[in-house]
Formats: sequence, C-alpha cells, structure tokens
Amino acid sequence: MGLGLLAFRALRSSRILTSPNPRHTILRRIVSTPELQNPEAAQAQPESPPPDLHHRAPVAGARVHFSNPEDAIEVFVDGYPVKIPKGFTVLQACEVAGVDIPRFCYHSRLSIAGNCRMCLVEVEKSPKPVASCAMPALPGMKIKTDTPIAKKAREGVMEFLLMNHPLDCPICDQGGECDLQDQSMAFGSDRGRFTEMKRSVVDKNLGPLVKTVMTRCIQCTRCVRFATEVAGVQDLGMLGRGSGEEIGTYVEKLMTSELSGNVIDICPVGALTSKPFAFKARNWELKGTETIDVTDAVGSNIRIDSRGPEVMRILPRLNEDINEEWISDKTRFFYDGLKRQRLNDPMIRGADGRFKAVSWRDALAVVAEVIHQVKPEEIVGVAGKLSDAESMMALKDFLNRMGSNNVWCEGNGMHPNADLRSGYLLNSGISGLEKADAFLLVGTQCGDDLKIFEHFFHSISPLLMIFELRLKGVLGKCPTVLDRPTAEMPLLGLALQGSPRVEAAMVNARIRKTVRATEAKVGYIGPPTDLNYDHQHLGTSPITLKEIAENRHPFCSTLSNAKNPSIIVGAGIFEREDKDAIFSAIETIAKNCKAIRPDWNGLNVLLLNAAQAAALDLGLVPESNNCIESAKFLYLMGADDVSLEKLPSDAFVVYQGHHGDRGVYRANVIFPASAFTEKEGTYENTEGCAQQTLPAVPTVGDAREDWKIIRALSEVAGARLPYDTVSGVRSRMRAVAPNLLRVDEREAATFSPSLSKPESRQEISSEPFGNAVENFYMTDAITRASKIMAQCSAMLLKK
Amino acid sequence: MASVVKNALKGIRERGIGSFIREVRDEGYLQTKIHNIGATLVGVDKFGNKYYQKLGDTQYGRHRWVEYASKGRYNASQVPPEWHGWLHFITDHTGDELLMLKPKRYGAEHKENLSGEGDEYIYHSKGHSLNPGQRDWTRYRPWEPATKA
Amino acid sequence: MLARRATQRLLEIRQAFRQIPQASRSFSTALNYHLDTPDNKPDLPWEFNDANKAKVTEILSHYPSNYKQSAVIPLLDLAQQQHGGWLPVSAMNAVAKVIEVAPIRVYEVATFYSMFNRAKVGKYHLLVCGTTPCMIRGSREIEDALLKHLGVKRNEVTKDGMFSVGEMECMGCCVNAPMITVADYSSGSEGYTYNYFEDVTPKRVVEIVEMLRRGEKPPRGTQNPMRRNCGPEGGNTTLLGEPKPPPCRDLDAC
Repeated sequence: MGLGLLAFRALRSSRILTSPNPRHTILRRIVSTPELQNPEAAQAQPESPPPDLHHRAPVAGARVHFSNPEDAIEVFVDGYPVKIPKGFTVLQACEVAGVDIPRFCYHSRLSIAGNCRMCLVEVEKSPKPVASCAMPALPGMKIKTDTPIAKKAREGVMEFLLMNHPLDCPICDQGGECDLQDQSMAFGSDRGRFTEMKRSVVDKNLGPLVKTVMTRCIQCTRCVRFATEVAGVQDLGMLGRGSGEEIGTYVEKLMTSELSGNVIDICPVGALTSKPFAFKARNWELKGTETIDVTDAVGSNIRIDSRGPEVMRILPRLNEDINEEWISDKTRFFYDGLKRQRLNDPMIRGADGRFKAVSWRDALAVVAEVIHQVKPEEIVGVAGKLSDAESMMALKDFLNRMGSNNVWCEGNGMHPNADLRSGYLLNSGISGLEKADAFLLVGTQCGDDLKIFEHFFHSISPLLMIFELRLKGVLGKCPTVLDRPTAEMPLLGLALQGSPRVEAAMVNARIRKTVRATEAKVGYIGPPTDLNYDHQHLGTSPITLKEIAENRHPFCSTLSNAKNPSIIVGAGIFEREDKDAIFSAIETIAKNCKAIRPDWNGLNVLLLNAAQAAALDLGLVPESNNCIESAKFLYLMGADDVSLEKLPSDAFVVYQGHHGDRGVYRANVIFPASAFTEKEGTYENTEGCAQQTLPAVPTVGDAREDWKIIRALSEVAGARLPYDTVSGVRSRMRAVAPNLLRVDEREAATFSPSLSKPESRQEISSEPFGNAVENFYMTDAITRASKIMAQCSAMLLKK
Repeated sequence: MASVVKNALKGIRERGIGSFIREVRDEGYLQTKIHNIGATLVGVDKFGNKYYQKLGDTQYGRHRWVEYASKGRYNASQVPPEWHGWLHFITDHTGDELLMLKPKRYGAEHKENLSGEGDEYIYHSKGHSLNPGQRDWTRYRPWEPATKA
Repeated sequence: MLARRATQRLLEIRQAFRQIPQASRSFSTALNYHLDTPDNKPDLPWEFNDANKAKVTEILSHYPSNYKQSAVIPLLDLAQQQHGGWLPVSAMNAVAKVIEVAPIRVYEVATFYSMFNRAKVGKYHLLVCGTTPCMIRGSREIEDALLKHLGVKRNEVTKDGMFSVGEMECMGCCVNAPMITVADYSSGSEGYTYNYFEDVTPKRVVEIVEMLRRGEKPPRGTQNPMRRNCGPEGGNTTLLGEPKPPPCRDLDAC
C-alpha cells in the first residue's frame, strides 16, 4: 500500500531534522519529538517545501480518466495544484497528487463508510479536520495533509483504534502485512493513555476458509460491505453498539460465498485470516511469483507465495480487465492439492496389473514401440483442462507426425466450433460486461467459474439478460469440462448452465457488479440456481430459447430494448447433441436484439477450463466423431474427465500428468509432468487474453514439463519435433495462433456478421440444461487432491 | 554486614585465599555484596535469584535489584515473569504475591532464553535441514499406485 | 492463621488488579450473538397476529414502497409488544420478510437499540434510570430495593414471569429524579403502556411493584404527593406575578 514507504519517509525526514548536517554528526540522538530538539530546523522546514517531484507521482501509478474534460476541477494538495474530475473525493484527489492518506475503512471497490476516521486531513476554512474518504473535493479546495492538525488528528484516531486492539502481533498471522501495524508505525503515537481493561469478543465460525480472531477487529466494516456488495451474501453485519459492537452473523451461519476468501485480503488487521495458512509462515519468508490461475477459464491473476519448495498461499493480483482484485475461493485455497497425490516417477503397468517405477528411457521406449504398432487413425490424443498452449501444440504436432489428427481438449466436445474465434470466446470481454444493460444467461453454471463472472455481470449493464442454458449433455458427457471453472467458463457458464457462480466466479462477480450498479436485467435459462443478484428464471430447457428466438417470450422486449444486450452461453452446450440448433437459436436472438454490432459484440461463450480457448485457437479438433471407440492408442495429457467407458479394452493408454487422478487408473504408462506452478506456460482465458504462468517452485521427483516429455517421446519414436526450447515451441505457435504470443493482451475475435453459416437442420431438444459443474470446489485433478477443497465441499455445499 | 564477613571467612577457609580472591574479582562478588549492604531482601524466587530493595536516600528507579543465583552466567531472562513486574517498577506486588495469581491450569513454567548457548537452542523453521522435525516433513506426497491395480 | 492471612492478601491483590468491579456493564438483555434455546431458535414459526397485520400495513403505508426497510424499528416494536416484551430470532426473521431485507439487517438494528429485548423479560419490565442525575438522587438504592424485593439479578425474570429489572440510560426526567419506567407487556400490543414513575423512593418502588402485581394501575408521573408534575414541592416559588413585558416593547416608556 505504499505505507511502508511512507513510514520510511517519515523516519528519514525525522533523521534529517535531528542532524541538520549528517556528514558531521556521527552520534544520532534518538528522540520522539525531533522538533523540540531542534526548533530552528522544525520551523524552517514548512516554509520551504522541497519541490520534490519524485514524491509527487500519483499513488500506485493512479491514472485519472476524464470522461468529460469540462468536468475537471482544480484542488490544491499541500499547495500543489492538481486536476481531478468532478465527483472525486478528497482522498482520491490526494492520491492523484501523490499523497497516500492512511485509511482503514475506505476501499476503492466498496461503498464509502467513513467510520474509521483515519483519513482525517485539514481543509482550509473547515473548523475541524474532515474525513477525506467521504468528503467530495470542491473546486479550489486547499487540502493539507501534513499539518500539525492533521497529524494530531491521525495520532488521536490511532490511539482510539489501538485502545481495544490486543497486543498479539507476535502470534498474529497478519503481522508484517498489517495495515494497523504499518500505520501505527507511521502515524501513531509512541504511547497510549488507556489504562482500563481491553474488551474481548467471541470468535465467529465462518467456515473452513476464514479464521476469525474478533478481538482484533477495529470495526472498519469492510468485510460487511464486501459480503453485501461484491459477494452478494448478506450474512455479515455489525451487531451491538458502543464498546460492545462486533462483526458477526448473529445466528450461527457459515460464509457460503465462493468469494469469501477475499475478506482475508481486505481485512486491514488480523481479525479475518486464512485458516489453511494459519501459523504456517510469515509473509517476509515468502517469495512471490506473479502468475495466473488455471482452475477456471477466467485466468485470474494471482501471486503464488512460496517458501523454499512449498507453495504456502495464493493471493490475487490486480487486473482490472479480468479479476479486478478478487479471486474465487477455489483459486485461493486449492494449493494444498499440489502437495498430494503427485506423480513423481515414470511408471509402467506390468503384466500383473501393477505399476512399476521405471526410468524415463524405458518408459519412452515402450510408448514409442507401441505407437508404431497401431494404425495412425487409431491414435487419439486428449489434452487436459489444465494444459498450457505449448504442450498442446507439441501434442498436436507429434500426433500429426504419427499420422493421426484425432486430438482435442476435454470440455470442447467432439464438434467444437473452432472455425470462428467469436464462436467460443467471451466477445464482450470480462470488463466489457460492465457496459451491458441486459443479460441472457443460457445454460451456464457460473456458480463456480461464474461467480467471478456474476460479479462482472452485476457491474455491467442495466439490462443484463442471462440465459442460463444448461446443457444437459455437458454434465453427463463431459463432466471434466464443466467441472472445471475457468476464466472463459465464467461468462459462458453464467448464461447457460446452472449458474455462473460455479462456472466462473469472477465473471459472475462482474455481472453482479453490473447489476448492482446499473440495475441491468438478467434472464437465465438453465437449472434452478442461486444467482446472487436479481434475475428472472426464464426456463430450464432450450425450448425457452426457441421461444425467445421466435419473439414469443416476454423477455424479448427487455432484450430488444437494451442498448448493449449480452448473451452468455455456457460451454456446457458444447457437449450437447443439439449444439448447432441451440447456437443458431442464440444467433437469431442476437440478431433480433442487435447484440452484434461493430461497436458491441454481445454474443458470448463462457468457457469452463483454462485450456479450452487455447486448444481451439491451436485447432485441437478431432477428425472423427467416435475416435475413442476405435482407439488403440490413447494419449491422455492430463485429461481426467474424458469418459473412457467406450474405450476398447485392448487400447494402450498413456497418461501424462501431475496427479494420480481418474486418468491413471486405465493407464498403461504414466509420464509424470509438472503442475502449472512449476512451469512456464501460456494460457488463454475465456475472453481471448493470452497470459503466461511462471514457475514458483521446483517440480517434484522426476517430473518434466509437458512439452519436453512429448519432444523426448517424438525423438525416441523417430519423428523428432523441430524445437528444443520454449521459445522454439512458441515460434511454432506463432505460425498457428499468433495471438497466443501477445501476452496480457486481449485479442478480440474479428466478427464478420456477413459470414453466415449454413442453416442448421438440427432440432432443438427439450432436454433441460444440466449442471456443467457438479461441485464448485472440486473440478480438476489438483482441486480433487486438495483436502481444503474437500472440506469446503463437505461443509459449504450441503444445504 | 556481619554475614558478609562471615561468609567471606568461610569462603577463604574452604577454598584458600588465592581462589577466593580470584572468585571475588571474576564474579563481582564483593561489589554485589557491598551493594547489598543496608538493603532488604524482599524475596527469593525458585531459581534462587535474590531480590533486594533499598529505600531511603537511594535514587528512585535504582532502588530495586536482583542478585542472580548463577554468578558466572546470568542474564535478564532468568528473572521469572512474576518478579519481572516488581523488579521493573510495574507493580509493587512482589513475585511471591503474584505467584498466587498464576493460573494452575495453563500457566507454563518459566524458562530462561537460551539463544546463543549452543546449536541445540537455535530455532530452525520447519523444513530447515537442521530442524529435528525435518525428518517427518515431506514436500509432497506421491501417488501410491498400489491402491488399485 | 498464616493460611488465612495469605488468602486475605490474595484477595486484596485480586481487588487491586481488578480495577473495575464489572469489566463491562451490559445494558442489553442479551448477547450480541444468538444461541439457540428451546423458546428462541430460527425454525420456530412466528407471525404477526391478525390485529397486528392491519397495523403492519398501516405502518408500511407511512413509507415509500421502495423504502420499506425504513419501517424496521416500528415493526420490531410491534413484534416485541406482541411477543410479550422480547424479540425471538424468528420474530426478527418475520420482520425481515415483511420489509424485504436480509435478516442480518434487522439483527443489526435490533442489537443496536437497547429497548429491543432479545431475551425473555417479565410481563412488567422495570427499567431504572442509571444516568448521573438519577444516580446522584439514589437510583442505585432504588435498583437494589427492586432486586432485593423481587429476588432476582439484573435482566433476570422472576420465577412467576411477572417482573424483570433492567437499566436504562437517561429518559429525560432528570428534574424528577430518580425515576423508573414500567413497560407493561401483560396484555399484548393492545394494552401496551410505557409509563414513567418519577420521584420514587426505595419504599415507594416496592409499593408500585406490589400494586402492579395485584393488577392495579399505580398513578404515573411523580410519586411525591407534594409535587404537581415537574413543579417544585409545595407549589411554585418564582415567577408568580404577571410577566413584565420587555422594556423595548413598552412604547410609552420610550
């Protein structure tokens, strides 16, 4: 928060004051009030404020966007003029001017409460210090943040805050990253006058993720506002009054939100901390690695904190376009799955049906021998939902060299619509959803993945119609895809399946934000679900969709009246038989309500898994429909959720992956691979934004990166792939899908409305949409190995 | 005063004059004993540390002190918490009185801080190669193929 | 002998360390969190009775239809009167349903105001003012007399369920201090009264309790027969004549 820097600055300036000529003064006096020791220096200082331009850079690189240049007003912060848009608060003006105002209750993404009083500043002609977070800046206002009045006000507030705060920093998990600690060092007094008994508060049970030590609470109400406004679960409240005031749920209640972990981040003290992380490490022991999340298609930006070879915790990173500063609970807490059930040695199943650990050389030789014994069309490859683009590229290249083109990524179904990028991307963009004013969610189950999406949706538009078309096929046929909420999934999931809350929690959060901000209308087609915002449940089967397409449904007028209607289709429909019919119905709806225009593309697909978008970009499309039934050689690259029931019993199965999950039980050979925390890989999220992971910890045992294993296998099999380095693979990827190389940029699909597809002759079936995600907390190999996720599903999903 | 002399004579008789003088010099024994003249012994804790107080014309803030039981290797962490308050003028209740308030159920025994006294007292975090718990600690648990084969 | 002296000394030390006899005095009748009891748990059914349903409609009509939540305090009050002076958690849930907000928003309000009782009270809830003027005039003795007479502790209900004693902050009758308030929940929201009894003495307060127990209605207001309302004892002593007009208004004098 820059407060450490502030503290440092305060310390530095006091040193300068005590020793006016530091070169000649070796002995430094330590005094709490340096001005008293050196009155001349203290007096001289305010008269000549150093024109320190470096100091004036906006806090955290804040940029000001003037929607209307005429709305700019000028205020003076510590004498420096600064231009800000109308409606900014005094605190925001100070941030633009580069002055970091201490605060506890103010959070830029929550409503303003103004109850901590830490942000008091002096404003000229105001008789009292004003709370800057709640005070609108007025033209010509002269704000003073560094005067004795402001300093004394802060010191007084800090003394009150510390009155009932226990002195348990040494045993507090927030110690070292605590706002209260930092700010009391920078702004507090070195002594207090409180001699009475400190109060104590009963701890609350908020579930398996959030640990509470309510005595430490300073009643900033950030968690209450987060739960109400962002997470959409009105469970937390401020109970009691005066010194008996406490945060709680009153009745015994667990926090069932899929975003509940974020209260740990917003809590400025150690009242709400992470239960799985409790007493595990200190934050200064941790090494942060900025990477991205792969448990859903949103591609939330995360920071993996590791100590030595262990992943200790996962925190969100700010990315306004994707996850803002939230992440879903699955993203935050699945990391203990990385330490269990790991595959660390290549293994071969012997004649007795038992696995035996072997050397890489032997394992590769066996596979290379078998692959030459089967016919090319009997070779099938399936990429898993956690696969990175590099390994999928290598897999496709390798199998192509072996003469097969039966490669696909689980979750995309057997006939993915990979020809047009707009057919499988969240075309509006996750942040673009905030502009929508009507949502139709079709069969998405944002529930998991979509929670984030839902949040997005909330924030997006006044008429958000969410059609949840829940594709029954999704769940039954390819539970893998739907199980796993991905960045892409959130958007789609919201629309089509159970609820975006499960498919893409961050997208759901975005929808929720939009709905809250603009009262966008949301229509939902899919299985009954609990979206945490106002919505109309239009139906459970594609028949409703047909009615809307034929203008026979009351929701049609909402859609056609909307300026920016957004239709979000869950990736679950990829697995349905009548996929084409549903898509053509959706396209008709989009055409009717003018959802696709040059300036707005409101036809969105919300993918479920991190690998899906990149797989479709790279053209991982199976050649024949029933390749599994006729396969003799099946290469599973981390694919655990493909249905292997129809696989011939004499087929040879190679499983390459990092966890001993569903896939290994049918495998003949196991290749251990690295998890996403241990390798560098490219992932594309549901809105088409390519991002790269970075290795945070070393890999386990003999495991290797996925693409390297395939590269080695290709050499042993005599069909050497022409790349030896990651950059080599990437230049190959550039030839296929150049957008995957443009990291952190959203490559929007170029949609050509003129390009009309052949009319689908398929009939829409009346089969209701199914749940794409059965269990939000356990969707892939890593989360299924996680104890914390198992606890969550046991405690939070039972209703 | 008389006891000081008596103890000194006893020491000389037992150890001989040479070692007695060396001991007195090395341990500041004489200095401590001279300082203790005229002071009241307020209490002795269970480690044998003696707590003295001298009221009257002693400067306020220097009127309480401790004579450590171990003369050669002493440090401030040898003062148990019940006496700490008295010794540092936090309270006027002596350690013996405060000991009665100590909860029986969960009050831990006082232990001096042994940092710097040898490798076995150094704290090693979990996962550190010198931590004895390291032997039980594994970075990850591999998948066991035998479960179903 | 020694043991007794040691025990005594120990007691003294404990006293010295416990600076405030009661670490915090709670003015509320319940904790700030809910614990399930047989007569107070969320799954018990609770509804406004028919007479009160009309009142609920009337109360809601005072507020714009999109600001129904403004009616939370009057509705909680009504629910409390109906339920014999206290609010079980199911009553709060019922209010939340009426005003269409999350239950926690109602809990927040109910825990904030000390006049909402979230634990059982007697049919007559006696509230002793404990603020400075009343305290100086002997409210502590009044409370002690009440507690002793009824044989209960503060916020405890007598065995027959008739009385409970609580403490209230200043109720604005400082001129007639000390005073108590009697909230009468004996006959539901129809006969609900909330009467002040001022100028009470420890003796008089016991008489009031006994009158209430017999079902009589003791006269409200000052209990000092020599005083009328808040006037001084024995009639007015100042400002007896006609007030003189201000000089500037006396035009003849100009």
